[in-house]
Parts: sequence; C-alpha cells; structure tokens
Amino acid sequence: MEKKLFGVAAIFTTPDDIINAASSTVKKGYTKYDVYTPYPVHGMDNAMKLKPSKLGYLTLGFGLTGTFIALFFMWWMMAMDYPMIIGGKPFFALPAFIPVTFEVTVLLATLATVIGMLTFFFYFPNNSHPVHDTSFMKKVSSDKYGVCIECADPKFELEGVKEFLTSVGGIEIEEIYYAVKTEQRIFDPKFITFLIGVAIATSGGIYFALNKLMYMEPFTWMQTQQKLSAQAETKFFTDKFSMRPKIAGTVARGFIPYEYKGLALPPVEIVNPSVPDEKNLALGKKKYLTFCSPCHGNHGDGDSRLRGQFPNPPSLHSLKVREWNDGNLYHIIVNGQNVMPSYESQINVAERWAIVNYIRVLQKAKNASPEEIEIARKEGK
Amino acid sequence: MSEVNYDYKTKELPKSVFTTGIALLIIGTVFGVIGLYLDTQRFLLNYLLAFALLISVGVGALFLVTLEYVAGADWSVPIRRVTEFFSSTVPYLLIIGIPLLFNIGSLFHWSHPEAVAEDKILQSKAPYLNTTFFIIRFFVVGLLWTLFWFLITRNSRKQDITKDQVLTKINIRYSAIFIPVFAITISVASIDWIMSLDPHWFSTIFGVYFFAGTVLASLSAVTYAVVKLFENGYLHPKITKDHLYSLGALLFAFINFWGYIAFSQYMLIWYANLPEETFWYLNRWEGMWIYVSLILIIVHFVVPYSVLLSQPAKMDPKRLKFAALWIIFAHLIDLYWLIMPNYHAENSNPWVYLLEFAFPMAAIGVLCIVFYLSYKKSNLLPLGDPKLERGLKFKL
Amino acid sequence: MKIDYSIEAPAIEGRLSLSQIEELIAKPLDSKPDKKFLLALSISGSALALGALCVLLTFYYGIGLWGNNQPVGWGFDIVNFVFWVGIGHAGTLISAILFLLRQKWRTGIARFAEAMTIFAVMTAGLFPALHTGRPWLDGYLLPYPNQHNLWVNFTSPLLWDVFAVSTYFTVSLVFWYVGLIPDFASLRDRTTSKIKKVIYSIFSLGWRHSHRNWQHYEKAYMLLAGFATPLVLSVHTIVSFDFAVSIMPGWHATIFPPYFVAGAIFSGFAMVVTVLIFVRKIFDLEHIITVNHLEKMNKVILATGMMVGYAYAMEFFIAWYSGNPIEQFVFINRAFGPYYWAYWIMVSCNVIFPQLFWIRKFRRNIPLMFVISIFVNIGMWFERFVITVTSLHRDFLPSSWGYYTPTLYDIGILIGSFGLFFTLVILFTKALPVVSISEIKAVADGAQPSHHGEGGH
Repeated sequence: MEKKLFGVAAIFTTPDDIINAASSTVKKGYTKYDVYTPYPVHGMDNAMKLKPSKLGYLTLGFGLTGTFIALFFMWWMMAMDYPMIIGGKPFFALPAFIPVTFEVTVLLATLATVIGMLTFFFYFPNNSHPVHDTSFMKKVSSDKYGVCIECADPKFELEGVKEFLTSVGGIEIEEIYYAVKTEQRIFDPKFITFLIGVAIATSGGIYFALNKLMYMEPFTWMQTQQKLSAQAETKFFTDKFSMRPKIAGTVARGFIPYEYKGLALPPVEIVNPSVPDEKNLALGKKKYLTFCSPCHGNHGDGDSRLRGQFPNPPSLHSLKVREWNDGNLYHIIVNGQNVMPSYESQINVAERWAIVNYIRVLQKAKNASPEEIEIARKEGK
Repeated sequence: MSEVNYDYKTKELPKSVFTTGIALLIIGTVFGVIGLYLDTQRFLLNYLLAFALLISVGVGALFLVTLEYVAGADWSVPIRRVTEFFSSTVPYLLIIGIPLLFNIGSLFHWSHPEAVAEDKILQSKAPYLNTTFFIIRFFVVGLLWTLFWFLITRNSRKQDITKDQVLTKINIRYSAIFIPVFAITISVASIDWIMSLDPHWFSTIFGVYFFAGTVLASLSAVTYAVVKLFENGYLHPKITKDHLYSLGALLFAFINFWGYIAFSQYMLIWYANLPEETFWYLNRWEGMWIYVSLILIIVHFVVPYSVLLSQPAKMDPKRLKFAALWIIFAHLIDLYWLIMPNYHAENSNPWVYLLEFAFPMAAIGVLCIVFYLSYKKSNLLPLGDPKLERGLKFKL
Repeated sequence: MKIDYSIEAPAIEGRLSLSQIEELIAKPLDSKPDKKFLLALSISGSALALGALCVLLTFYYGIGLWGNNQPVGWGFDIVNFVFWVGIGHAGTLISAILFLLRQKWRTGIARFAEAMTIFAVMTAGLFPALHTGRPWLDGYLLPYPNQHNLWVNFTSPLLWDVFAVSTYFTVSLVFWYVGLIPDFASLRDRTTSKIKKVIYSIFSLGWRHSHRNWQHYEKAYMLLAGFATPLVLSVHTIVSFDFAVSIMPGWHATIFPPYFVAGAIFSGFAMVVTVLIFVRKIFDLEHIITVNHLEKMNKVILATGMMVGYAYAMEFFIAWYSGNPIEQFVFINRAFGPYYWAYWIMVSCNVIFPQLFWIRKFRRNIPLMFVISIFVNIGMWFERFVITVTSLHRDFLPSSWGYYTPTLYDIGILIGSFGLFFTLVILFTKALPVVSISEIKAVADGAQPSHHGEGGH
C-alpha cells in the first residue's frame, strides 16, 4: 500500500516545555500544526493563540429554539387543536408550561452542544486519522506531550521542521505516514445492497412496531373481562342473547297491561283522560320525536329518512287519521299496526296520551282553516 | 506558614463618598418628614422598606463573609473587607428599627386587640403575633446578628496585625454556627416584618424568598463597590478580572435562584388556587399593581439574566457595575411589591409619592456613610489572612 | 490537627506520576474479576432477581398485588421513585455545580457519582412506569399525534415528570459520556487486547488529545455544567410539584421545591459516601479519593441535613401559623398519629444523627461516616414515606381514613431496586474507569505549567 507523509511529530516531557514549544511554533509561522496533551494544559489557548470557542452560540441558538418549539407546540396542542378546561386553568396556562419549556430548552441545548462539537468542530467519529496507532499517539495519550506539524502547512519542509522541533526541546522526532485510500465508489453493488437492506429493515421494523407491536398485549386481564355486551352474542345464556327478555307474567310499574291487545281497533271508545296543557304537549313532543318521528317524520308527514326502506309509513294528516278518535290513536301506539310494532313496553300510559295530544296539535297546525288561523294570530298577540 | 509582606497600602477613600451619603440621608430625611406630616401610614411602610433594604445589604453581607469562611473559598479573600464594610450596617439596624417598634399599631393589623377579638384566625396566631413577643424577637434577632458581626469582623481585623492562623479557625467556627442562626433569624425577621403585614397570609417558602433577595442585594452592593474600587485602583493590583468573574457568576447564580424561588411560590399558589393563599397575589394583581408585578419579573429576572448571561459580561467592569446597580434597584422594587400593597388608606395628595424616593435615598445614604466610616477604620486588604496569597493568585 | 490555611489541600495525595495514575485507574479493567467481586455481584444479582420476579408478577396480575388502596393511592412506588431520583442528584451536583465552583476535590469522585446518577435515575424511572399498570402503553405519555387524536396534559405535574426525568437522564448520560471520551482514547492506546481496542476505538470516536479539540471540549464541558446545574434543581423541583400543586394538606407547601432539592442532595451525597468508602478501599484509590474528599462530602451532608431540618421546622411552624385546623391536624398526625414511628425515624436519621459531623474527628472517621450515611439513606427514604403516606391516610373525610401496609411484593420490588442499582454499579467498576483519568492527571502535582496564566502572552 502506498504511504504518504502526514507530518512530523515530536515529544515533550513537561508542561512548561510544551507551552514553550507551542508558542515557538506559532512564532515560527506554522499554522497547520496541533498540540497533543493527555489532559487540557492551562495557558495553551494563549500559547497557541487560539480564538475563543464559538460553541456557545450553537448552544444559545438551539436552546432558544427549544424554548420556542416547546411553547409553540404546547400552545397549539392545548389551546388550539384540542382545547380542554383542566383544573379551571386557562387553555394557555403559562406557569404550568414553564417546567416542560425549561426541560426542552435544556435538552435541545445540551444535545446540540455535544453533537455539534463532535461533528462540526471535531469531525468525529474519525478513527482513521493518521496519528492514530502511532507510538507518538500512545505517548501523548498517557503521560507525554507532543507537537505535530503537518505537511499541509505552506512552510513545511521536512528537514527544517525536524530541526526546529529539536531546537525547541523535542525528543523522539517521528515522521507520521498514512495509507492512501483506494477510491470508493458509491454505486458499488455491495454498498447498494447494504443500503437496500437497511431501508427494508428500518421500514419493516417501524411498520411492525407501529402496526403490530403497539397492539400486542402481553397481559390482557384488564381489558378482557367476563361481562355481557348489550348488542353482542353471548355464550352465557342458551338463547345467546345478552339482553334478557321480560319474564312472562311480570308487570312493570306504569305499564298496566292493555286489555284490547291484538284487535284492529278498540271495540269501545277509550276516553282521553289527559289535559293538553303546555307541559303535557312538551312531553308529547319529546316522546313523539323520540319514538314516532323516525318513521312518521318530525311533522307527521311520513317523510322520515327511512322512507323507501320499508313500506312507506302513512301520513298522520290523512282524513282517516284526523277523523279517528283519540282512543284509536292510543290503540295503535299500544298495539301497533301492519309493520309498526307495539310500543307498549317503551312508552307509559301518560306519555301515550301526551303523544296523542301532540299528534292532534300537528294535525291542527297543518290543516287549520283560515278563520282558525286568524283567531290564533289574534290570540297569539 | 508563609510570611508574606505585601507591598500594599490602603489608599484613602475620597471624602465625597461620605458627603454624598450625608446629603442623601439629609434629603431623604427631609422629604420623609414632609411625608410623615402628610400620611403616617405611608411614611411607616416606606420606613419599613428602607429598613428591609438595610437588613438585606447588612445581614446579607455578613452572611457572605461567613460563607467564605465555611466554604473555604480563597478567591474572595482579597475583597472580603468590602463585604465586611457593608456588614457594618448590622449594629445600626437595632437603632434604625426602634422607631418602627413604637408604631407597631399603625403597621400591623394583628396588633389591634379589637381586630383580633373578631377574627378567629388572628386569635389562633396570637401566641406568635403579639406586640410583646414581636419586640422580644426583634431584639433577640438583632442582638444575635450584632454579636456575630462583632466577633467575626473583630477577629478579621485583629488578624491584620497578629497574622495568627488560629483566628481563621475561630472565625470558621463562628461562621459555621452563624449560618444556621442566620437561616432561622432571617426567616423570623422576614415573617415578622413583611409576611405578617398581611396577617392572614402564609407561605412556607417566604423566608427563603427573602433570603434570595437579601443575598442578591448584598452581593450587588459588594460587586458595585469592588468594581468601583477596582476601576479606580484602590484594590491590590493582583486582583484581576478573574475575581470579578466570580462575583458576576455568583450574581448570575443568585438571579436564577431568586427566579426559581419566586416562580415556585407563585406557581404552587396559582396552581392550587386556594382562596386563603391566592388573595395575596390577587392584591398584587389589582389596579396598577398588575404592572408592578409584571415589571418585577422583567426587572428582577429577565434583564439581569440577559445582561449577565454571557461569559465576558461576567468580568466586564462596566456591565457588572450596571448589573449590580440594577439589581439593587430590582430588590427595591421587590420590597416595594412585598410591602406597599398593604397600604389601605386613601390619600390623594400627590406629594406623598415623594416618600417612595426619599427612603431608598436615605437608605443608600446610610450605606455610603457606613461604608466610608468602616473603610477608614481598617485595611482594604485582610493582610493577615493566611488565604490571602492564594486569593491573590486566583486564576480561572 | 493543625491546618495550614495558606496552602490549598492537594486534590490527590502522594506524588503519583501521570502514568502511575493511569495504571491505577485502569487496573480493575485489565484484571479478571476476583472472588469478592463475584460475591458482591451475586448478592446484588439475587436482589435484582427477586425484584424482577415481583415485577413480573405485578405485570401479570396487575398492581392490585401492592398495598396501595383507598385512601393511600400512592405507596411504595412513589416513595421509591422519589428516593431514587433523589439519589441521582448527587452525581450531577458533584460534576456540574462543583465544577462551576472550581472545587478541585470533585475530580476524584465525579465520574463515580455521575455513574450513580445514571443508574439511580434508571432505577427511579422504573417505578412510575410500573405504577401505570400497563407499562407497554407508556408510549402514550409522549406527545405525538396518536390514533386517539389526543394530546398529553401539559398542565399535569406527572407529565412534567416524564419530561424532567427523561431530560435529566439524557443530559446526565451525555455529560458522563463526554467525560469518558478522552479516557476511552487513553484506554484504547494502552490496551493490548484486540477486542478491547475495537470497543474503545468505537467509543473514543477517534479522540486524539489534540489541543484544538481540548479547547472546545473544555468550553462544552462548562456549558454542559451550566445547563446541568439548573436541570438538577428542576428535576427534584418538578418531583416536588407532583405533591405540592395539589390541595392535600401536608403536600401543599410552597417550600417543597427547595426542600426537596436539599433533601435530594442530602440523600445523594450519603449514598455516594456509602459506595465510595468501599470503592476506594477495594480498588486502592485511597490517594485519589482521599479522606479530605470524604470530609468535604460530610460537610455537605451536614449542611443539607440542616436545610432539610429547616424545612421540617418551617412546615410545622407555618402549619400552626396558618390557623387552618386541617393543616394543623396533618402535622400533629404525622408526629403523633399512627405513623409516628416513621416520622421519628425520619427526624432522627436526617436531622439528629448528621449533627455528629460538626466534629472534625467524626467527619474523618470512616466507620462512623459509613454508619451515618446509611442512617441518612434510611431517613431520606422514610421522609418520602412520611410525606406520601401520612398525608394520604387521613384525609378530609374521617370515614375514609385507613392504614397503609405494604405487601411482600412492594418490599420485593424495593429490594429489587437496590439490586438493580448495585448490580449496575458493580458492573460499572469493572467495565469503565471509575475515576476520570484525564481530569485526575490535570490536577496532579506538576501537571500544569509553573507560570500558567502569565506565560505565552
């Protein structure tokens, strides 16, 4: 393998010598050189005439970035995207955000300092630097101090440098060589295969983690409990229904059995016992909208959104229905008619009559004569 | 033991320091007396504010001296005398506080028996908050401070002549005892004089809060004096910017500490939202006080923090001087914010606001006079201190 | 003993040469583990195994295995968490604050204390994770746009803990690693083993002791120290917020933040002393970790112990001063209620025993300081127990009062946490240099130029 000269290194034994050597090197006009010491020697910055480190600006910049990122995101998450009142505090509760802001600032600033130092200032990792694995390095790594003047220096001249280093007290002068690297191609098939492998492994890993791993439960005691789910099939009961039917012969409070069940219309007129006052009509409206409107529509026109899916529910404004007495309407609610099921178990007696009253109101509203409208208008005033 | 002869003689301080001090004190007193005529309560609260400032600087300086002994620091030895000069305010505190003792009734709500009689909370506090015990505490605390001040500074001055290392050892002992004593006494003083102005309110961190302000005030007084002396060549020539850096760094650290303590107190009360605590902050959030509260954050934390953040700023005499004066000003605002919301009377006479300037002026006048007088009495360099040489050699 | 104040106490004793220092520190890494090491490891490993078993059972059956129940919903888990986070504070304090204060004596102990910080924070982090019951779902603690369309609650102190502890762990680790880089380089250049050389090369990143690097390195170290200092305060402050932002009497006290920080330093230093006493003996580091260093640590223990005492006293006083009967009851209940024993263990271990350190002889007496440091550890554990349990067990509603007793699983996990911590510490002593090689070299006799600061201008 071809070897090229990197520079000439010399060893010094005391800290005073190395300070002296460093300042002499500067005086001599060398610029491409470095001083190697096993620990930071005080006063060396001055001797080498180094400019103060600019690392602090990086830290400051990233620290402030952290501050603003944290504040911005907390504002956005807590006050804009999903505002929620927590503990009676404002959405943007600044005092409560300060701890996290501080932590993010510190985290970003330290990471930036260290990563920035290692990469931008040191060009690390660099295990192939020529001084590695030389006897020079072994010494400065332990208890000696060294100077290395590099070939790249415009004033470099092998014998002159050696002489200079000896003159300032350097011992064990050593020439440092490095092996010339063979050129590496980017489109090397091995390299491309490696890249593709890495890409597949990374994306596969992420896919697995986010889509599979996240849903794998090591222990599911807490989620899977023995319970009945209202609409689901169960193995617990032989009929597989989770919801249990009423036990035959039981009567719920407020649901006295209806005597004309099964007949098309009641044989006698059932008298409406309720008074259609404001409260009663409000109840009727509420129950009508809950139970009746899904088919008959909000205004009794039979125009609900279910129209078309079943035999059309009839309008409640037909002459037939308008001329029926209240008892007939009551009977249909309890008994059902054609496709309409019985609402006996959902709606109690008082509510049924309230619904009847409300239907009467709807009918009146739709089919009032002009005189009646006139009267209503006057009364309304 | 090293016997070093220092080629150093203390230069005399210009008389102008003394005359400025006297002038400030006289102007302050004159305006103060006018204020007394206009509004007694406001006068007393302002007097209390000046008194609290002197406690901060004087006792704080004594604490800094003892801290040096206990921590075994060497960099601060060559400038310790400056700190000691400021601590000479301590014995005068006993005298300055006495007029307030005669006016406990006008300052403190809890001292009115008729108020206590109809207030259950005050009744339960009566064993602590009563006039007799208050006066006893004042004298015990004041005498303890004076005692330690006397012992420590006397030994320090004696060492100039005897150069005896045993004196350092003794002072370390005194200091070690003083620090816990200081922790208790400064808490008692802050609870008595400031927290009990609003006798219903309580906060466990209050002593620490006042301590943070105390250290800041005394440290900035010391920093200002040291930088002034440094610039005008009064200090030993071996004292360099590295020493100033340490002062700047300490100031910076305590700015952060104050911010931390102030935030902790506010945050916990804000978060828990208990009416028995929040009213204290709400009082400081009403009317014009909201501005004082917000200004306090900026003046006491944001500005000095930004000024002292960078490393060169901590050793730059100009910026340090600015920061030091600024922090004393900030501490005054802090004290104002703590004390003045307890003023309840209505007074439309605009001249009464002169009081707000009169008392800080008088207090600073007192500091100048004390500094001048104690400067005259002793060396600026503790010549006999065994750590002096180490201190002079101090490098970053 | 007479002290000459005009001379600065040397950071290391005996005039060791630079190569001797390196030899001494690197020795444990080059030698095979001896019987004592294996014995220690097996003891700590058994404790760890016990803890692991209890943790697994807790995963399987849920945290119903623990003693936590109404009204004491926070038990050993939080006590242990706060305890271990507290232990973790000494390391950063020594490496950052004492660095900024230019205390040279820190060099001998900084590396070890930092390692203890990292291990302690790791141990601490375990407990909140366990307490969530289903730790595999803890990813939701991070604010990322998840499938539930929910953000985390940034006003919750428990979430601040997530940020604080993870930041603290990351920063401590980075700080520690940055300190290790030059040492890895030195080890790389002295080792004869090929495998070790590869490992050290990777971790040294190619460090070559260049002064152009040292300059930035020193700056970075200072910046990191500058950040780590407020960070270390913030972490235990935030831990204290967990308690103090509530309206629970006994928890809601404004002094909690500085009080917790002082307590953390106190317990952390005690733990460092406990461990260092052994380390310096076993690895012949008596010249590098000297009695002077231990004495200084004991002084810090004394000082922080008194700060903690101040906080106890202040809490008691203000509870009375507040005039709030519930507040008063809680504190009377602490000292004289059913958990009086825990309270008095806390007070005697934390406030009374450390007072012995007023006497110089005791500060320098190794067996005694060992005993006291153990007492402080016990006391600080009980402090957290007292705060957590005594405040909760008798809350506002007397009908729901109760008495908390830990179960065997709680105790098993506590033992396991010590097992984890000490296992990591023991492994660390054999894997990495326990003292910073480059820093010790820098403070050795004659390591710095004789006229530094004046030369070279």
